[in-house]
Amino acid sequence: MIKVSNLSKKFGDLAVLKDISFEVAKGEIVVIIGPSGTGKSTLLRCLNYLETPTTGQIHIGNATIDAVSHKAKEVTALRQQSSFVFQNYSLFANKTALQNVAESLITVWKIPTQEALETARAILLKVGLKDKFDIYPSQLSGGQQQRVGIARAMAAKGEVILFDEPTSSLDPEWVDEVLAVMKQLAIEKQTMIVVTHEMQFAKEVADRVIFMEDGFIVEQGSPQDVFNNPQHERTKAFVKRALKQH
Amino acid sequence: MQSSFDLQYIIELMPILFKYLGVTMEMALWGFLFALILALGLALVRVFKIAFIQHLASLYISFFRGTPLLVQLFLLYYGFPQFMPIFVGMDAFTAAVIGLSLHFSAYMAESIRAAILGIDKSQMEACLSIGMTRLQAMKRIILPQASRLATPSLMNYFIDMIKSTSLAFTLGVAEIMAKAQMEASSSFKFFESFLAVAVIYWVVVIFFTRIQHLLEKRLNKAY
Repeated sequence: MIKVSNLSKKFGDLAVLKDISFEVAKGEIVVIIGPSGTGKSTLLRCLNYLETPTTGQIHIGNATIDAVSHKAKEVTALRQQSSFVFQNYSLFANKTALQNVAESLITVWKIPTQEALETARAILLKVGLKDKFDIYPSQLSGGQQQRVGIARAMAAKGEVILFDEPTSSLDPEWVDEVLAVMKQLAIEKQTMIVVTHEMQFAKEVADRVIFMEDGFIVEQGSPQDVFNNPQHERTKAFVKRALKQH
Repeated sequence: MQSSFDLQYIIELMPILFKYLGVTMEMALWGFLFALILALGLALVRVFKIAFIQHLASLYISFFRGTPLLVQLFLLYYGFPQFMPIFVGMDAFTAAVIGLSLHFSAYMAESIRAAILGIDKSQMEACLSIGMTRLQAMKRIILPQASRLATPSLMNYFIDMIKSTSLAFTLGVAEIMAKAQMEASSSFKFFESFLAVAVIYWVVVIFFTRIQHLLEKRLNKAY
């Protein structure tokens, strides 16, 4: 369902992603881990074309794009196949929680406003925000904002939701409520690719863990494999350090 | 010739001048409306860096910011009809509205552009991430937020434009300044006449400053 082939990204002379290839099946939950600054977020942003890859192909759902020959129409089509949860939430500041969630339905999918708002209400209920419909982002806590962010991504009708360190900006007290929403999505077999430093979440929820370093996929496998029986020295060192912190 | 200050004259002049305030305000409001539309277009051309047109936009802004409004009005009303017959029949009011729109749009374009650039780029990314096009993002998310940032400076230009309509009397528009000038030269009470017109401008500006505060309060609701 998702197929990434030979993806690379350079910022000037700096190669951030080097020949990345992987596939994700429908309903699979993939967690990407690795040290900071190794291209995890860039990879995720490339999948949503928030960064333009230098070379390689991306295939999601029924959209395919080649970095070398991409057209504006293909980019929009690809983006409609995925949605994104940002580290800093990035909710639309001029819209209420409900309007944030309904926006893609109204603007992108041309669903009548009343129907879109109805769907948005149902999604906000699901993430536990039934009394926050008409509240603006500035008046929500970090945890609530990120739950709206996830709700917005759920509403966007994409094949996959991409999570870019969704709990890294949160005060510790709000982390659990956001992870709980993500776990619920995992139970419902929502396809997800999650970049995170939450190792416990990766262990519990992931179908597959990908370890990245220096723009490469070093190793991937079940959480069991990667955390308990890593094959590469670098994975071993990272996992040992990461698990010690938790 | 020396005479004492004549308050009675001012009191009697006020209602006479007031009748001409309508023309002044009509010029300002039409001028501002057209300037706003032009400025938005210019700002978007520059923000989206649309090939070729963006250089024309820069040239336009450079010219209308770089030359005096009075010179632009004279060029438009007295200069152009010499070569372009289409301008011959143009009345002074229309010329003033066009001149004011062109002039102020150049300044306002820069305010709007700055406001758009002042919106965090994560807002645009969030729009794109759910499959919106850049144009949809502008319309629904970026411009509504930018309008809040641009309002104080745009209202400043509106106030400036109200006062700048006084230059239209040099084209022969019968607005409030022209009337004050006429009254002054027939009564020789220059000080009283121009003081009266100054007070009217001032009161109008105070009124719109009040409106500005209300507008800003409304726009700040979400923040």
